[in-house]
Amino acid sequence: MKTVVTSGKSGAFSAVHPAAAMVYFLAVLLISMFCFHPVLQVEMLVGAALFCITLQKRGEALREIGFYLPLFLMVAVTNPLFSHNGVTPLFFLNGNPVTLEALLYGVSLAVSVIGVLLWCKCCGRVMTEDKFLYLFGKLIPKLSLILSMALRFVPVYLRQSRRVIRARKAMGLFSGKGITDRVKNRMRVFVAMISWSLEHAMETSASMRARGYGQKGRTNFSLFRFSPADGVLLCGCVFLLAVVWIGRAAGFAAFSYYPRTGGIGAAPADLAVYAAFGLLSLLPFLLEVKEVIVWSCCVSKI
Amino acid sequence: MKKDILAVFGIVLILAVLINGTHIQSVDEYYLTHIDDITPESETVTLSIRCDAVLQHYDELDPALRSEEFVPPDGVILPPTKYVLREGDTVFQILDRAVRSNRIQMEFQGAEENPFGSVYIQGIHYLYEFSCGPLSGWMYRVDGEFPHYGCSRYKLHDGQNIEWIYTCDLGQDAGALWMGGEE
Repeated sequence: MKTVVTSGKSGAFSAVHPAAAMVYFLAVLLISMFCFHPVLQVEMLVGAALFCITLQKRGEALREIGFYLPLFLMVAVTNPLFSHNGVTPLFFLNGNPVTLEALLYGVSLAVSVIGVLLWCKCCGRVMTEDKFLYLFGKLIPKLSLILSMALRFVPVYLRQSRRVIRARKAMGLFSGKGITDRVKNRMRVFVAMISWSLEHAMETSASMRARGYGQKGRTNFSLFRFSPADGVLLCGCVFLLAVVWIGRAAGFAAFSYYPRTGGIGAAPADLAVYAAFGLLSLLPFLLEVKEVIVWSCCVSKI
Repeated sequence: MKKDILAVFGIVLILAVLINGTHIQSVDEYYLTHIDDITPESETVTLSIRCDAVLQHYDELDPALRSEEFVPPDGVILPPTKYVLREGDTVFQILDRAVRSNRIQMEFQGAEENPFGSVYIQGIHYLYEFSCGPLSGWMYRVDGEFPHYGCSRYKLHDGQNIEWIYTCDLGQDAGALWMGGEE
Protein backbone atom coordinates (compact mmCIF):
# COMPACT_ATOMS: atom_id res chain seq x y z
CA MET A 1 0.00 0.00 0.00
CA LYS A 2 2.82 2.43 -0.79
CA THR A 3 2.16 5.52 -2.80
CA VAL A 4 4.42 8.13 -4.28
CA VAL A 5 2.54 11.21 -3.15
CA THR A 6 -0.10 11.84 -0.56
CA SER A 7 -1.10 15.38 0.21
CA GLY A 8 -2.50 16.89 3.38
CA LYS A 9 -2.44 15.21 6.77
CA SER A 10 -2.44 11.59 5.80
CA GLY A 11 -3.78 8.74 7.84
CA ALA A 12 -3.28 5.09 7.09
CA PHE A 13 -6.33 5.12 4.86
CA SER A 14 -4.84 7.80 2.60
CA ALA A 15 -2.25 5.27 1.49
CA VAL A 16 -4.91 2.92 0.12
CA HIS A 17 -5.24 2.72 -3.65
CA PRO A 18 -7.83 5.25 -4.94
CA ALA A 19 -10.01 2.57 -6.52
CA ALA A 20 -10.32 0.64 -3.24
CA ALA A 21 -10.91 3.85 -1.27
CA MET A 22 -13.56 5.02 -3.72
CA VAL A 23 -15.42 1.70 -3.51
CA TYR A 24 -15.18 1.85 0.27
CA PHE A 25 -16.65 5.36 0.49
CA LEU A 26 -19.41 4.54 -1.95
CA ALA A 27 -20.34 1.44 0.06
CA VAL A 28 -20.47 3.32 3.37
CA LEU A 29 -22.35 6.31 1.95
CA LEU A 30 -24.86 4.07 0.20
CA ILE A 31 -25.77 2.34 3.45
CA SER A 32 -25.60 5.52 5.53
CA MET A 33 -28.00 7.36 3.29
CA PHE A 34 -30.66 4.69 3.03
CA CYS A 35 -30.66 2.95 6.42
CA PHE A 36 -32.50 4.45 9.34
CA HIS A 37 -31.97 1.58 11.72
CA PRO A 38 -30.72 2.94 15.07
CA VAL A 39 -27.95 0.37 15.49
CA LEU A 40 -26.60 0.90 11.97
CA GLN A 41 -26.84 4.65 12.44
CA VAL A 42 -24.89 4.64 15.69
CA GLU A 43 -22.22 2.48 14.04
CA MET A 44 -22.13 4.84 11.09
CA LEU A 45 -21.76 7.94 13.27
CA VAL A 46 -19.11 6.43 15.54
CA GLY A 47 -17.14 5.19 12.53
CA ALA A 48 -17.31 8.61 10.87
CA ALA A 49 -16.35 10.47 14.04
CA LEU A 50 -13.36 8.23 14.75
CA PHE A 51 -12.22 8.45 11.14
CA CYS A 52 -12.52 12.24 11.23
CA ILE A 53 -10.47 12.45 14.40
CA THR A 54 -7.63 10.47 12.83
CA LEU A 55 -7.62 12.84 9.85
CA GLN A 56 -7.69 16.09 11.81
CA LYS A 57 -5.79 17.98 14.41
CA ARG A 58 -7.34 17.88 17.87
CA GLY A 59 -8.44 21.51 18.12
CA GLU A 60 -10.14 21.32 14.74
CA ALA A 61 -12.38 18.45 15.77
CA LEU A 62 -13.44 20.24 18.96
CA ARG A 63 -14.25 23.42 17.09
CA GLU A 64 -16.48 21.53 14.70
CA ILE A 65 -18.72 20.28 17.48
CA GLY A 66 -19.87 23.90 17.70
CA PHE A 67 -21.20 23.54 14.17
CA TYR A 68 -22.62 20.02 14.29
CA LEU A 69 -24.43 20.29 17.61
CA PRO A 70 -26.73 23.18 16.58
CA LEU A 71 -27.32 21.45 13.23
CA PHE A 72 -28.26 18.26 15.08
CA LEU A 73 -30.73 20.08 17.33
CA MET A 74 -32.24 21.99 14.42
CA VAL A 75 -32.92 18.90 12.30
CA ALA A 76 -34.16 16.88 15.29
CA VAL A 77 -36.62 19.56 16.42
CA THR A 78 -37.86 20.48 12.94
CA ASN A 79 -39.28 17.05 12.10
CA PRO A 80 -41.93 16.85 14.88
CA LEU A 81 -43.15 20.31 13.89
CA PHE A 82 -44.10 19.05 10.45
CA SER A 83 -44.84 15.38 11.00
CA HIS A 84 -47.65 14.51 13.39
CA ASN A 85 -47.83 10.75 13.04
CA GLY A 86 -47.17 8.56 16.06
CA VAL A 87 -49.05 7.00 18.97
CA THR A 88 -47.50 9.03 21.83
CA PRO A 89 -48.49 12.69 21.72
CA LEU A 90 -46.33 14.82 24.02
CA PHE A 91 -48.32 18.04 23.61
CA PHE A 92 -50.40 19.79 20.99
CA LEU A 93 -49.10 22.70 18.94
CA ASN A 94 -51.74 24.76 17.14
CA GLY A 95 -54.09 21.79 17.20
CA ASN A 96 -51.53 19.32 15.87
CA PRO A 97 -49.85 16.66 18.01
CA VAL A 98 -46.11 16.78 18.61
CA THR A 99 -45.31 13.11 19.09
CA LEU A 100 -42.46 11.14 20.59
CA GLU A 101 -42.18 9.03 17.43
CA ALA A 102 -41.73 12.09 15.23
CA LEU A 103 -39.08 13.38 17.61
CA LEU A 104 -37.23 10.05 17.47
CA TYR A 105 -37.43 10.06 13.70
CA GLY A 106 -36.07 13.62 13.73
CA VAL A 107 -33.13 12.50 15.87
CA SER A 108 -32.54 9.66 13.45
CA LEU A 109 -32.64 12.06 10.49
CA ALA A 110 -30.19 14.37 12.26
CA VAL A 111 -27.79 11.49 12.93
CA SER A 112 -28.06 10.51 9.30
CA VAL A 113 -27.40 14.03 8.01
CA ILE A 114 -24.42 14.60 10.29
CA GLY A 115 -23.00 11.13 9.67
CA VAL A 116 -23.17 11.58 5.90
CA LEU A 117 -21.59 15.05 6.22
CA LEU A 118 -18.74 13.58 8.27
CA TRP A 119 -18.22 10.73 5.82
CA CYS A 120 -18.17 13.16 2.89
CA LYS A 121 -15.63 15.25 4.76
CA CYS A 122 -13.40 12.22 5.30
CA CYS A 123 -13.89 11.30 1.66
CA GLY A 124 -12.78 14.81 0.66
CA ARG A 125 -9.66 14.52 2.81
CA VAL A 126 -8.69 11.09 1.52
CA MET A 127 -9.77 11.35 -2.12
CA THR A 128 -7.66 14.34 -3.10
CA GLU A 129 -7.97 15.88 -6.57
CA ASP A 130 -4.98 14.00 -7.96
CA LYS A 131 -6.51 10.68 -6.87
CA PHE A 132 -9.81 11.61 -8.40
CA LEU A 133 -8.24 12.58 -11.71
CA TYR A 134 -6.10 9.43 -11.60
CA LEU A 135 -9.23 7.29 -11.31
CA PHE A 136 -11.52 9.00 -13.79
CA GLY A 137 -9.26 11.28 -15.87
CA LYS A 138 -8.93 8.75 -18.67
CA LEU A 139 -12.44 7.38 -18.49
CA ILE A 140 -14.54 10.54 -18.30
CA PRO A 141 -12.15 13.50 -18.57
CA LYS A 142 -14.71 16.30 -18.66
CA LEU A 143 -16.92 15.06 -15.86
CA SER A 144 -14.03 14.17 -13.60
CA LEU A 145 -12.51 17.64 -14.03
CA ILE A 146 -15.85 19.24 -13.19
CA LEU A 147 -16.28 16.97 -10.17
CA SER A 148 -12.79 17.57 -8.88
CA MET A 149 -13.31 21.31 -9.27
CA ALA A 150 -16.65 21.12 -7.50
CA LEU A 151 -15.17 19.10 -4.65
CA ARG A 152 -12.36 21.58 -4.03
CA PHE A 153 -14.62 24.56 -4.60
CA VAL A 154 -15.39 25.33 -0.95
CA PRO A 155 -11.82 25.29 0.40
CA VAL A 156 -10.54 27.31 -2.57
CA TYR A 157 -13.44 29.72 -2.16
CA LEU A 158 -12.73 30.23 1.55
CA ARG A 159 -9.05 30.84 0.88
CA GLN A 160 -9.77 33.41 -1.83
CA SER A 161 -12.44 35.20 0.21
CA ARG A 162 -9.97 35.54 3.07
CA ARG A 163 -7.57 37.12 0.60
CA VAL A 164 -10.21 39.57 -0.62
CA ILE A 165 -11.09 40.54 2.94
CA ARG A 166 -7.45 41.14 3.77
CA ALA A 167 -7.03 43.28 0.66
CA ARG A 168 -10.11 45.33 1.53
CA LYS A 169 -8.85 45.81 5.07
CA ALA A 170 -5.50 47.01 3.77
CA MET A 171 -7.30 49.55 1.58
CA GLY A 172 -9.26 50.77 4.58
CA LEU A 173 -12.62 49.67 3.21
CA PHE A 174 -13.49 47.47 6.15
CA SER A 175 -15.20 49.40 8.89
CA GLY A 176 -16.11 46.63 11.29
CA LYS A 177 -18.07 48.70 13.79
CA GLY A 178 -21.46 47.06 14.06
CA ILE A 179 -22.87 43.70 13.07
CA THR A 180 -24.93 45.17 10.22
CA ASP A 181 -21.85 46.88 8.78
CA ARG A 182 -19.91 43.65 8.96
CA VAL A 183 -22.73 41.75 7.25
CA LYS A 184 -22.83 44.40 4.51
CA ASN A 185 -19.10 44.08 3.99
CA ARG A 186 -19.36 40.32 3.77
CA MET A 187 -22.07 40.70 1.16
CA ARG A 188 -19.74 42.87 -0.97
CA VAL A 189 -17.02 40.25 -0.69
CA PHE A 190 -19.54 37.58 -1.61
CA VAL A 191 -20.57 39.41 -4.78
CA ALA A 192 -16.93 39.81 -5.75
CA MET A 193 -16.38 36.12 -5.09
CA ILE A 194 -19.15 35.02 -7.43
CA SER A 195 -17.58 36.70 -10.45
CA TRP A 196 -14.16 35.49 -9.35
CA SER A 197 -15.27 31.88 -9.05
CA LEU A 198 -16.88 31.88 -12.51
CA GLU A 199 -13.73 33.34 -14.02
CA HIS A 200 -11.55 30.93 -12.08
CA ALA A 201 -13.47 27.91 -13.39
CA MET A 202 -13.00 29.06 -16.99
CA GLU A 203 -9.31 29.70 -16.42
CA THR A 204 -8.82 26.28 -14.89
CA SER A 205 -10.41 24.49 -17.80
CA ALA A 206 -8.43 26.55 -20.30
CA SER A 207 -5.18 25.83 -18.51
CA MET A 208 -5.98 22.12 -18.30
CA ARG A 209 -6.60 22.08 -22.04
CA ALA A 210 -3.32 23.87 -22.65
CA ARG A 211 -1.59 21.09 -20.76
CA GLY A 212 -3.16 18.45 -22.96
CA TYR A 213 -5.51 17.08 -20.32
CA GLY A 214 -7.69 14.21 -21.45
CA GLN A 215 -5.52 13.36 -24.46
CA LYS A 216 -3.98 10.01 -25.21
CA GLY A 217 -0.65 9.06 -23.73
CA ARG A 218 -0.79 11.61 -20.93
CA THR A 219 0.55 10.43 -17.59
CA ASN A 220 -0.74 11.30 -14.14
CA PHE A 221 0.77 13.55 -11.54
CA SER A 222 0.58 10.84 -8.90
CA LEU A 223 1.02 7.16 -9.56
CA PHE A 224 -0.60 4.48 -7.46
CA ARG A 225 0.17 0.79 -7.42
CA PHE A 226 -2.62 -1.66 -6.75
CA SER A 227 -1.09 -3.94 -4.12
CA PRO A 228 -2.50 -7.28 -2.88
CA ALA A 229 -3.51 -5.55 0.36
CA ASP A 230 -5.66 -3.14 -1.67
CA GLY A 231 -7.26 -6.11 -3.38
CA VAL A 232 -8.10 -7.66 -0.01
CA LEU A 233 -9.60 -4.37 1.17
CA LEU A 234 -11.65 -3.99 -2.01
CA CYS A 235 -13.04 -7.53 -1.81
CA GLY A 236 -13.76 -7.09 1.90
CA CYS A 237 -15.73 -3.90 1.23
CA VAL A 238 -17.79 -5.50 -1.51
CA PHE A 239 -18.45 -8.55 0.66
CA LEU A 240 -19.58 -6.51 3.69
CA LEU A 241 -21.75 -4.30 1.50
CA ALA A 242 -23.33 -7.42 0.01
CA VAL A 243 -24.02 -8.87 3.47
CA VAL A 244 -25.74 -5.67 4.64
CA TRP A 245 -27.63 -5.19 1.40
CA ILE A 246 -28.88 -8.77 1.07
CA GLY A 247 -29.74 -8.90 4.77
CA ARG A 248 -31.81 -5.74 4.48
CA ALA A 249 -33.46 -6.87 1.26
CA ALA A 250 -34.46 -10.09 3.06
CA GLY A 251 -36.17 -7.99 5.72
CA PHE A 252 -33.59 -8.21 8.50
CA ALA A 253 -32.36 -5.22 10.49
CA ALA A 254 -35.60 -3.45 9.59
CA PHE A 255 -36.96 -0.69 11.76
CA SER A 256 -40.01 1.53 11.54
CA TYR A 257 -40.69 4.75 13.44
CA TYR A 258 -44.36 5.29 12.57
CA PRO A 259 -46.89 4.88 14.02
CA ARG A 260 -45.08 3.12 16.86
CA THR A 261 -41.32 2.59 17.02
CA GLY A 262 -40.55 -1.04 16.36
CA GLY A 263 -38.21 -3.23 18.33
CA ILE A 264 -34.56 -3.68 17.51
CA GLY A 265 -34.18 -7.15 16.05
CA ALA A 266 -31.71 -9.49 17.76
CA ALA A 267 -32.00 -12.58 15.57
CA PRO A 268 -28.70 -14.07 14.31
CA ALA A 269 -29.29 -12.59 10.84
CA ASP A 270 -29.89 -9.12 12.34
CA LEU A 271 -26.70 -9.43 14.38
CA ALA A 272 -24.81 -10.45 11.25
CA VAL A 273 -25.94 -7.29 9.47
CA TYR A 274 -24.98 -5.12 12.46
CA ALA A 275 -21.58 -6.78 12.68
CA ALA A 276 -20.92 -6.46 8.95
CA PHE A 277 -21.72 -2.76 8.90
CA GLY A 278 -19.90 -2.13 12.18
CA LEU A 279 -16.75 -3.66 10.71
CA LEU A 280 -17.20 -1.69 7.49
CA SER A 281 -17.60 1.68 9.19
CA LEU A 282 -14.80 1.10 11.71
CA LEU A 283 -12.38 -0.15 9.03
CA PRO A 284 -10.41 3.11 8.52
CA PHE A 285 -10.04 3.60 12.26
CA LEU A 286 -8.88 0.00 12.72
CA LEU A 287 -6.34 0.47 9.91
CA GLU A 288 -5.09 3.61 11.66
CA VAL A 289 -4.80 1.79 14.99
CA LYS A 290 -2.91 -1.03 13.33
CA GLU A 291 -0.54 1.49 11.75
CA VAL A 292 0.13 3.15 15.11
CA ILE A 293 0.83 -0.20 16.78
CA VAL A 294 3.18 -1.24 13.97
CA TRP A 295 4.94 2.12 14.18
CA SER A 296 5.40 1.99 17.94
CA CYS A 297 6.80 -1.55 17.61
CA CYS A 298 9.29 -0.33 15.00
CA VAL A 299 10.30 2.61 17.19
CA SER A 300 10.89 0.44 20.20
CA LYS A 301 13.14 -1.83 18.17
CA ILE A 302 15.29 1.11 17.15
CA MET B 1 -24.55 50.97 16.72
CA LYS B 2 -27.94 52.40 15.73
CA LYS B 3 -28.26 49.85 12.94
CA ASP B 4 -27.48 47.04 15.38
CA ILE B 5 -30.21 48.13 17.74
CA LEU B 6 -32.61 48.25 14.82
CA ALA B 7 -31.60 44.75 13.73
CA VAL B 8 -32.07 43.37 17.26
CA PHE B 9 -35.45 45.06 17.43
CA GLY B 10 -36.46 43.45 14.14
CA ILE B 11 -35.44 39.99 15.33
CA VAL B 12 -37.33 40.44 18.61
CA LEU B 13 -40.40 41.53 16.64
CA ILE B 14 -40.28 38.42 14.43
CA LEU B 15 -39.86 36.19 17.49
CA ALA B 16 -42.79 37.89 19.21
CA VAL B 17 -45.02 37.31 16.18
CA LEU B 18 -43.91 33.65 16.04
CA ILE B 19 -44.55 33.06 19.74
CA ASN B 20 -47.86 34.85 19.53
CA GLY B 21 -48.90 32.56 16.69
CA THR B 22 -48.17 29.31 18.52
CA HIS B 23 -50.68 27.79 20.81
CA ILE B 24 -49.54 24.95 23.05
CA GLN B 25 -51.98 22.55 24.69
CA SER B 26 -51.35 19.56 26.88
CA VAL B 27 -52.69 16.19 25.73
CA ASP B 28 -55.64 16.15 28.11
CA GLU B 29 -56.52 19.74 27.32
CA TYR B 30 -56.64 18.94 23.62
CA TYR B 31 -58.89 15.92 23.94
CA LEU B 32 -61.20 17.67 26.38
CA THR B 33 -63.80 18.82 23.87
CA HIS B 34 -67.32 19.61 24.70
CA ILE B 35 -69.83 17.44 22.87
CA ASP B 36 -73.33 18.86 23.04
CA ASP B 37 -76.01 16.58 24.49
CA ILE B 38 -78.64 15.51 22.03
CA THR B 39 -82.04 17.01 22.88
CA PRO B 40 -85.29 16.49 20.93
CA GLU B 41 -85.01 19.88 19.26
CA SER B 42 -81.28 19.79 18.40
CA GLU B 43 -80.17 19.27 14.82
CA THR B 44 -77.93 16.25 14.36
CA VAL B 45 -75.78 14.59 11.73
CA THR B 46 -74.40 11.04 11.62
CA LEU B 47 -70.69 10.41 11.22
CA SER B 48 -68.82 7.16 10.57
CA ILE B 49 -65.21 6.36 9.74
CA ARG B 50 -64.38 3.11 7.93
CA CYS B 51 -61.36 1.50 6.29
CA ASP B 52 -62.78 -1.68 4.69
CA ALA B 53 -60.70 -1.24 1.53
CA VAL B 54 -57.52 -1.81 3.52
CA LEU B 55 -58.69 -5.30 4.45
CA GLN B 56 -59.01 -6.20 0.76
CA HIS B 57 -55.59 -4.75 -0.08
CA TYR B 58 -53.77 -5.99 3.00
CA ASP B 59 -50.68 -7.02 1.00
CA GLU B 60 -50.16 -3.40 -0.11
CA LEU B 61 -50.39 -2.02 3.42
CA ASP B 62 -47.32 -0.53 5.08
CA PRO B 63 -45.83 -3.40 7.16
CA ALA B 64 -45.63 -1.17 10.25
CA LEU B 65 -49.44 -0.87 10.23
CA ARG B 66 -50.25 -4.55 9.87
CA SER B 67 -51.84 -5.14 13.25
CA GLU B 68 -55.33 -5.11 14.67
CA GLU B 69 -54.40 -2.09 16.72
CA PHE B 70 -54.14 0.10 13.63
CA VAL B 71 -56.52 -1.66 11.25
CA PRO B 72 -59.62 -2.98 13.05
CA PRO B 73 -60.61 -6.45 11.76
CA ASP B 74 -64.12 -5.26 10.84
CA GLY B 75 -62.85 -2.05 9.21
CA VAL B 76 -64.80 0.23 11.54
CA ILE B 77 -62.80 3.02 13.14
CA LEU B 78 -65.87 4.95 14.27
CA PRO B 79 -69.34 3.35 14.05
CA PRO B 80 -72.20 5.61 12.85
CA THR B 81 -72.66 8.11 15.68
CA LYS B 82 -74.95 11.10 16.02
CA TYR B 83 -73.42 14.49 16.71
CA VAL B 84 -75.17 17.75 17.40
CA LEU B 85 -74.88 20.21 14.54
CA ARG B 86 -73.81 23.66 15.57
CA GLU B 87 -74.55 26.77 13.56
CA GLY B 88 -72.45 26.83 10.35
CA ASP B 89 -70.70 23.52 10.98
CA THR B 90 -68.71 22.01 8.10
CA VAL B 91 -67.79 18.36 7.60
CA PHE B 92 -64.33 19.12 8.90
CA GLN B 93 -65.56 20.66 12.14
CA ILE B 94 -67.78 17.67 12.90
CA LEU B 95 -64.91 15.28 12.12
CA ASP B 96 -62.53 17.29 14.30
CA ARG B 97 -64.95 17.22 17.24
CA ALA B 98 -65.67 13.53 16.78
CA VAL B 99 -62.03 12.40 16.65
CA ARG B 100 -61.14 14.54 19.64
CA SER B 101 -63.92 13.19 21.80
CA ASN B 102 -63.07 9.62 20.76
CA ARG B 103 -59.30 10.17 21.05
CA ILE B 104 -58.68 9.11 17.48
CA GLN B 105 -55.44 10.38 15.97
CA MET B 106 -55.86 12.68 12.95
CA GLU B 107 -53.51 14.79 10.86
CA PHE B 108 -54.64 17.39 8.36
CA GLN B 109 -53.26 20.07 6.12
CA GLY B 110 -54.71 23.44 6.98
CA ALA B 111 -56.90 25.35 4.51
CA GLU B 112 -54.32 28.13 4.20
CA GLU B 113 -51.59 25.69 3.10
CA ASN B 114 -53.77 23.85 0.63
CA PRO B 115 -53.90 24.93 -3.03
CA PHE B 116 -57.67 24.29 -3.08
CA GLY B 117 -58.28 26.49 -0.05
CA SER B 118 -59.77 23.67 1.96
CA VAL B 119 -58.60 21.40 4.74
CA TYR B 120 -57.08 18.16 3.47
CA ILE B 121 -57.22 15.10 5.71
CA GLN B 122 -53.84 13.39 5.52
CA GLY B 123 -54.42 10.59 7.99
CA ILE B 124 -56.91 9.24 10.49
CA HIS B 125 -56.09 6.61 13.10
CA TYR B 126 -52.46 6.32 11.81
CA LEU B 127 -53.73 5.38 8.36
CA TYR B 128 -52.24 8.00 6.06
CA GLU B 129 -52.49 8.85 2.41
CA PHE B 130 -50.28 6.38 0.48
CA SER B 131 -50.17 3.98 3.47
CA CYS B 132 -51.86 1.32 1.37
CA GLY B 133 -50.52 1.71 -2.17
CA PRO B 134 -49.91 4.83 -4.26
CA LEU B 135 -53.61 5.54 -4.87
CA SER B 136 -54.77 5.40 -1.27
CA GLY B 137 -56.15 8.12 0.98
CA TRP B 138 -59.18 9.43 2.82
CA MET B 139 -62.43 10.48 1.08
CA TYR B 140 -65.76 11.61 2.43
CA ARG B 141 -69.30 10.96 1.32
CA VAL B 142 -72.41 12.85 2.36
CA ASP B 143 -75.74 11.05 1.90
CA GLY B 144 -74.13 8.62 -0.53
CA GLU B 145 -72.51 11.24 -2.77
CA PHE B 146 -68.88 12.28 -3.03
CA PRO B 147 -68.70 16.11 -3.04
CA HIS B 148 -66.30 17.69 -5.52
CA TYR B 149 -64.70 19.96 -2.96
CA GLY B 150 -62.88 19.94 0.35
CA CYS B 151 -64.39 18.96 3.67
CA SER B 152 -64.01 22.39 5.31
CA ARG B 153 -66.17 23.94 2.55
CA TYR B 154 -69.11 21.59 2.90
CA LYS B 155 -71.77 23.17 5.12
CA LEU B 156 -73.97 20.57 6.78
CA HIS B 157 -77.73 20.42 7.30
CA ASP B 158 -79.88 18.58 9.77
CA GLY B 159 -80.04 14.81 9.39
CA GLN B 160 -77.21 14.37 6.89
CA ASN B 161 -75.09 11.25 6.93
CA ILE B 162 -71.31 11.67 6.64
CA GLU B 163 -69.03 8.74 5.91
CA TRP B 164 -65.24 8.95 5.91
CA ILE B 165 -63.90 6.12 3.76
CA TYR B 166 -60.38 4.96 3.16
CA THR B 167 -59.75 4.14 -0.48
CA CYS B 168 -56.92 2.18 -2.04
CA ASP B 169 -57.60 3.08 -5.70
CA LEU B 170 -58.63 6.74 -5.94
CA GLY B 171 -62.17 6.10 -4.77
CA GLN B 172 -63.29 3.35 -7.14
CA ASP B 173 -63.53 0.76 -4.37
CA ALA B 174 -65.64 3.22 -2.37
CA GLY B 175 -67.94 3.85 -5.32
CA ALA B 176 -66.74 7.30 -6.41
CA LEU B 177 -66.88 7.13 -10.18
CA TRP B 178 -65.88 10.67 -11.10
CA MET B 179 -62.16 10.03 -10.59
CA GLY B 180 -61.99 7.95 -13.78
CA GLY B 181 -63.98 4.95 -12.60
CA GLU B 182 -66.05 2.88 -14.98
CA GLU B 183 -69.74 2.00 -14.93
